[in-house]
Amino acid sequence: MDQPRHLSASFARAPLIGMVLLSLAYLIFPVVVVVVISFSGQKFLSFPPASFSTVWYRDILTSADWAQSFWITIRVGVLAAFLSVGIGLPAAFALVRRRIPGKGVLEALLLAALITPPIIKGLSLYLFYAPLGLNNTVVGLAVAHTVTGVPFVILNVSASLRGFDMDLERAAVIHGCSQLGALRRVTIPIIMPGIIVGTVFAFLQSAQELLVALFVMGSVQRPLAVKLWESVRVSIDPSIAAASTLLIAFAVVAFVLASVLQWRRRLA
Amino acid sequence: MTSVGETDRTGFSDADPGPKARAGLQRREHFATALLILPVLVVTIVFFVLPLSMMMVESFKKDGAFSLAQYHEFFTSPIYYWVILTTFTLSLITTVGTLIIGYPVAYYLATTRSRLRNALLLLVVIPYWLDYIVRSYSWMILLGRNGIISRALQDAKLTDGPVTLLYNTFSVSVGMIQIMLPLMILTLYAAMLRIDQELVLAARVHGAGVWRSFAKVFLPLSLPGIYAAALLVFIISLGFYVTPALLGGPGQAMISQSIDVIASRLLDFPLASAAAMVLLAISLLVVIVYNRTFGWDRAWTSPGI
Repeated sequence: MDQPRHLSASFARAPLIGMVLLSLAYLIFPVVVVVVISFSGQKFLSFPPASFSTVWYRDILTSADWAQSFWITIRVGVLAAFLSVGIGLPAAFALVRRRIPGKGVLEALLLAALITPPIIKGLSLYLFYAPLGLNNTVVGLAVAHTVTGVPFVILNVSASLRGFDMDLERAAVIHGCSQLGALRRVTIPIIMPGIIVGTVFAFLQSAQELLVALFVMGSVQRPLAVKLWESVRVSIDPSIAAASTLLIAFAVVAFVLASVLQWRRRLA
Repeated sequence: MTSVGETDRTGFSDADPGPKARAGLQRREHFATALLILPVLVVTIVFFVLPLSMMMVESFKKDGAFSLAQYHEFFTSPIYYWVILTTFTLSLITTVGTLIIGYPVAYYLATTRSRLRNALLLLVVIPYWLDYIVRSYSWMILLGRNGIISRALQDAKLTDGPVTLLYNTFSVSVGMIQIMLPLMILTLYAAMLRIDQELVLAARVHGAGVWRSFAKVFLPLSLPGIYAAALLVFIISLGFYVTPALLGGPGQAMISQSIDVIASRLLDFPLASAAAMVLLAISLLVVIVYNRTFGWDRAWTSPGI
């Protein structure tokens, strides 16, 4: 690298960096606003707030209504995440390591399930569940969320599997390990970060999903997304900001955890 | 990918067990593969394809007999014509907006040697995983009567009282673009990583300037990525519900909202099903084009942080 060219390149990049920072501000600023508002001391929404307090958190954390919604979301999300891993992990192995006839069809099907407009999934599942009595059940919603959670598991596990050195598994077998044992004691631990990231994503998409939840579980027991949606429509006082901030904190923690795991995989 | 599968599949046995045993082994292999794939296939078919089929049947039913009445009602109503037009317009605005704002960001992330790259990537990824209700809600605060913009206008004595910037195409676009921006950036970024930087360098060595080497080499090479990301953002935008409902007025109603109203309030499930089928047909058409043009596996993996 000669000095002058490097310099001219960095001059050209100055406006680019400016644009990048502006775009990132556009992405991040609304999030900051919600967090700040949640500590507001006023009843009406204004930014920046004139005074600060934690009263809205007390409201949320002591409300039986929010607590119930929170637990439903946890139950649905955890079940959906485990189901996604349970069926996504074997599929990822097959997709990466074996030749499957009609593989393109399977991938197209998974993609279709992922990006079909949520209102369509909500309405069709409601019609499908009605005669089966699966509406208003945790299991019904969890299975519905599994359909959209599986692709996240498959994509992240496949990425880990493609980077996995097969010689490690062969070495274990040569040294007397059974194939299943090699899988359990060598392969799975090495691709574990990919599995965990996929699981976290599957959980997060379930926790945030609104329209299927609205159709399938909209009346009696309302998941957090439905509760949040109804609250926003009725009033927009800062207690919603407090609930949102808790959700943001949760997503950030989950995400940082996933990133740390991925980073450790890089080092390994 | 197939070549990896080939070697791995037979990787453990080097000695040839003979043709008969080989055939048996192969059958067992096929059986095992089927067992691995079956659960995903069954769940997707039972809880995605089957409900859709039922919805399709519902959309063609009137008083227990086959009928096109719902489709006739949907396509002849001026309301739904406007709703579809609005849905297309807002999705197009979102796609173009995210592309214009997202391309420079993705370009910078893909070409920088800065050690801050991973931190910047995290700033793009985290908003993607934040609830979209929360993000729409924050724009209600910002653009509303007591929001920061309304206050600034009052302080500058440009208006007499509080103003709202909500409930119009502008506010819905601002919200939708912000929500879809991370997906646009990450998809473009993944595509740009695959572009060989040496080609740009070669253009530079041969005397092309910064702009020329970008316009003649990098930009054309990134076109498939642009195409893929734009289609992805467009199709997901078609199904938006929360953002137009919170930030828009009646003039910004999108088709998902109409379907919800027809189903949940009018309780007309056949008509709602027909409307959903129209949306599905439009979306599927876009998916088919998308899948033909480009692979889809990089969009939702965690980018290499």
